[in-house]
Amino acid sequence: MAKTTLFLILALLPGLALAQAPKADLECRFTGTDFVYDCTIRLSRGGKPLQGVKVTVGADMPSMPMAHNVKPVKAQPAQAPGEYKARLDLEMLGVWAVKLRLAGPVRDQLILHYEFDSKGASPAHR
Amino acid sequence: MDDYAIGVLTNVGLISFLALSAYLLLIAGEMSFGQQAFFGVGAYAGGMLTAMYGWPLPLAALCAMALGALAQFLVGLPTLRLRGLYFAMATLAAAEMARILFELFHFQRQLEGEPVGPDGTQGFRGIRWVFEHGVEPLGYLGIVYALLALALVAFLLVERSRLGATLRGVGEDPELAASLGVDVNRVKLGVAAAAGALAALGGVLYAHHNTYIEPRNFDIMLGVHSLAYALIGGLGTALGPLVGVVLDIGALEGSRVFHGYRMIVFGGLVALLLIWRPRGLLDERAVQWLRRRFS
Amino acid sequence: MTDLAQNTLDGLFLGSSYALLALGFTLIFGVLRRVNLSFGPAVMFGCYAATWVHLNFGAGLVLLAMVAVLGSILAGAYVERLCFAPHRGGSAIAAMVASFALWMQFEELATIALPRHVYDFPALHGGAPLAFGALTLRVESLVMLLAAVLVCALLWWILYRTRFGVAVRAVIDQPQAAQLAGISVPRIFMLTFALASAIGGLAGFLIASSHEQVTPMLGMWSTMKGLLAMMLGGLGSLPGAVLGGLALGLLEAHSQWFFGPQTRDLIAYALLFILLAARVPWMTTRSAS
Repeated sequence: MAKTTLFLILALLPGLALAQAPKADLECRFTGTDFVYDCTIRLSRGGKPLQGVKVTVGADMPSMPMAHNVKPVKAQPAQAPGEYKARLDLEMLGVWAVKLRLAGPVRDQLILHYEFDSKGASPAHR
Repeated sequence: MDDYAIGVLTNVGLISFLALSAYLLLIAGEMSFGQQAFFGVGAYAGGMLTAMYGWPLPLAALCAMALGALAQFLVGLPTLRLRGLYFAMATLAAAEMARILFELFHFQRQLEGEPVGPDGTQGFRGIRWVFEHGVEPLGYLGIVYALLALALVAFLLVERSRLGATLRGVGEDPELAASLGVDVNRVKLGVAAAAGALAALGGVLYAHHNTYIEPRNFDIMLGVHSLAYALIGGLGTALGPLVGVVLDIGALEGSRVFHGYRMIVFGGLVALLLIWRPRGLLDERAVQWLRRRFS
Repeated sequence: MTDLAQNTLDGLFLGSSYALLALGFTLIFGVLRRVNLSFGPAVMFGCYAATWVHLNFGAGLVLLAMVAVLGSILAGAYVERLCFAPHRGGSAIAAMVASFALWMQFEELATIALPRHVYDFPALHGGAPLAFGALTLRVESLVMLLAAVLVCALLWWILYRTRFGVAVRAVIDQPQAAQLAGISVPRIFMLTFALASAIGGLAGFLIASSHEQVTPMLGMWSTMKGLLAMMLGGLGSLPGAVLGGLALGLLEAHSQWFFGPQTRDLIAYALLFILLAARVPWMTTRSAS
């Protein structure tokens, strides 16, 4: 009950833009099996690497929203601070909207567009 | 419940708004290939209001619904005298025009040193209201379904009332309805506004669930899909379109068995289903049978 | 002035491809009174079949054209059996939604069989375009225009000089009377579908070899252009399909010159919407359930 009231109050307050939004970039390598990629995600916020966040990685094809839901995988923290590793199993080549869901100390969601080909992934700009 | 299941269920809820909007028009005798445009109007309007101007989501949603209603009203007005495929093609043309306009729409504000807002084909990212207000995925799911339930209640009430009979009458035989004193144009425009509002509500919720929208999200595929859900689920009741959505997104997507073949399986199932039940699963006859059985 | 002439020429060539697509749509709509949303995808299936043959066997152009045509006919037959034959006396919407469902199947099949986003397709003519005074003519475009003309002539001959054609025209004008006169309407439907698919397959092959590439978007693209051209020319009218296709091509070529590709599409859709809303006579006379 208290949660609902709190939510209602929050919902009706004008939104306040909170602290800096996190930023991410992706580097992927084709593993050789169709269409599996090993990816390294680098998270940062305010210019500093973002550590200790639970990262879940999913993907969607922009031209067919909700048609190609790739099962989200949990990323594992890698060695360097702010780096996380995940293995993505996509359904085809092309431009994918990679969805990073952050939980833990920072809760947020980032969408990055990358073009996946037979070697890896590169940022896609249309 | 894990995040994936919550995501799938939320998608089911969101697309249900779109399917219901197509269903409403079908009941009133109009087949629309263009509901995705009003979904998009709701998404862009709602997203802009919360992300660029700090409006609270409920207010932004109401505004988005009003815009969606207005937009569909404006499309409905010149097309009042069109029937069947002509009306469908007109809605398709209007929807594609909307999508292209989204592609050409660049409108951003600088917030904390970052540009925020729709950026044409690059899309509109950073619709982070749920994160700025601590709404968990499960909570958002609850919001979506609460609103969907409200919509369904409204539908079910209307269907049992005189208004419902009038709507179906206009859908079946407009000339007969007119001869009985019904202002067919008024009914059609009212239905258009309601359908537009419904689609826009789905759109605003979609934008905030995804945090990112782009014009490609609102293409014909989405529109024809939602029409298909309404037709497969059946036109006998507002629960019909939901059945259609659940069948595709829920069952086939949720079960990873058909990974990579989902469309092939679903497409085949739909074609076969339509041979068996051309008017959908929960068509008028089925609904009447169910009503008799359970009353 | 040269620009105007060049754009007009380009528009006519572009329009020929639209005309072919529209002819296929219109044949099906005229005879079956149904919209086949899988027409574009069937065309794409033919192109993909040809691409597959090209990738694996490196066959010559003529063979690839035949594969494309046969592939489209096969895909069309599948659609006809599953979506149109069962609903012959029944709901037009059910047939249309079923054809949309099969469209989904074709799209997924294409991405499974050939997962890359773009595939090379052999060019129709490897050499340079022809120069005609200040104007340039691509050989591919000439072939496309020629093909459109030939297909129209062939269709005319079939419809007005063969017994099959008489039966088709009878079914178009008076379906019940035709049935009573002993014409096997299901057979006419099947053969019309095959003919329409063949035309589509040819159109697809010519389009793919003109652009020298094949993408999964071909299905959607063909459907949209075919539908647009068919509507512009008047639903169910074969001459209208050709004129609508040519008009669309001209409109696009000129709009693109002045406004760029997105506005070009915007103009085409806006024109269709305005014409429909105004209920111009040639566009809205045929009943479309």
